[in-house]
Amino acid sequence: MGELGLEAAAENTYSLRPAGQRKFRSSAVKECIHAILKEELANVQYSPEETPQLTKQLSETIKDRLKEKGFDRYKMVVQVVIGEQRGEGVNMAARCFWDADTDSYAHDVFMNDTLFCVVAAFGCFYY
Amino acid sequence: MEEFHPHNDEMIFNADEAHNIVKECIESILGKADYSHDKVNQWTATIVEQSLTHLVKLGKTYKYIVTCAVMQKSGAGLHTASSCFWDTTTDGTCTVRWENRTMNCIVNVFAVAIIL
Repeated sequence: MGELGLEAAAENTYSLRPAGQRKFRSSAVKECIHAILKEELANVQYSPEETPQLTKQLSETIKDRLKEKGFDRYKMVVQVVIGEQRGEGVNMAARCFWDADTDSYAHDVFMNDTLFCVVAAFGCFYY
Repeated sequence: MEEFHPHNDEMIFNADEAHNIVKECIESILGKADYSHDKVNQWTATIVEQSLTHLVKLGKTYKYIVTCAVMQKSGAGLHTASSCFWDTTTDGTCTVRWENRTMNCIVNVFAVAIIL
């Protein structure tokens, strides 16, 4: 978990919208997640010993990569779920109570023979 | 700038309170049910919606994100992790794990403060 670094960044601006180009755009975020998943999971097999670590590492990597994107005044939440592929049923849902004008989310799914991975990233604007 | 200290209840996320709310929701919906492919979609949707409704009713100055995963028990592994970029003094999270004979359920609540 990261803290918002600069103290100056934690002051209210009372602006109600992020600066145009620096909005949390789900298409850009999805692309980013997709690229990371492809990179990190392409040749990975499910292993009960290593997957917990991999899951944590993946969420950190994605969070860091999103931070680099320089979204304007966004708090971000990244959730990663990795499961073993054994033909079991899985269902996921998310609901948010937020400002639909500014806040957004993106998700992506990756699958190979032994595992599936679902990533959801949420961006919340702070005013 | 002075360091910020939340000074009233409306601005503090109580993880225990959230935990109880979510747990009750899961129990009321999944209770004695067995995993069913046709119903699981409806279940997860109801769990997140009902939990969210109850959280919002607490009347705190937060935006909420609620996610829920239900997996059929088959001996297969499931791992979840989250990373957050936010203000740890005001924002908070809570995770509820629940299981019965046929399924595992994991609900995550993320509360993001609106007022700094």
